[in-house]
Amino acid sequence: MSGAVVGIVLVSHSAELAAGAADLAAQVSGGTVRIVAAGGTDDGALGTSAAKVELGLSEADSGAGVVVLPDLGSAVLTVRAVLTDRPGGRVVLVDAPFVEGAVAATVTAAAGGDLQAVAVAAAEARHARKL
Amino acid sequence: MPASSEQPRVQRVLTLAGDLHARPAGALAVAAARFASSVSVTADGKTADAKSVLGVMGLGATAGQQLTVAAAGPDAAEAVAVILAVLSEARMAGD
Repeated sequence: MSGAVVGIVLVSHSAELAAGAADLAAQVSGGTVRIVAAGGTDDGALGTSAAKVELGLSEADSGAGVVVLPDLGSAVLTVRAVLTDRPGGRVVLVDAPFVEGAVAATVTAAAGGDLQAVAVAAAEARHARKL
Repeated sequence: MPASSEQPRVQRVLTLAGDLHARPAGALAVAAARFASSVSVTADGKTADAKSVLGVMGLGATAGQQLTVAAAGPDAAEAVAVILAVLSEARMAGD
């Protein structure tokens, strides 16, 4: 296992939702993972921001790659636009439930999982039952 | 990694001193995921992969319940010992 830990970027239409999910995932995982909230538009309204996603990718990447989780489908458009302009990075966009995916991905990253393992953990969160 | 029948299996039972909430579940999963052995936790007839934080939280295990920690694989004994230590540190492990 290398020293670098996979980073997480949470892309939400709401700055508060992204920040809250990031805070929750950080607390559950012990605070050793770079988890960046990229929520809201540049002027703080509801929506997504390519600039915030771009900055989030840079902040989250410590060399092991980054998993990006969108809250709703329309956040995917923003993420894809950023990734198109940012080729070659080790970034995986994962279709996962936002809160569960963030928690599962961050815990797997904290345990030293590689980019693939973290992406799979997030995607598999879809099958976790709460009841 | 699937454990063959020749690999060691270790199991310990403890009584939970507190409810298995998100933070202890996270600590448990982070610890379990570092081992090659398969690790499971069982409470009230439900079993979860200890490496899955969502699975562990989904147990809904509460104070006073018996929690069975089981591991199978090359580092099974160490895995169970570390899980018990993590639960103890989180003040989750009673006698």
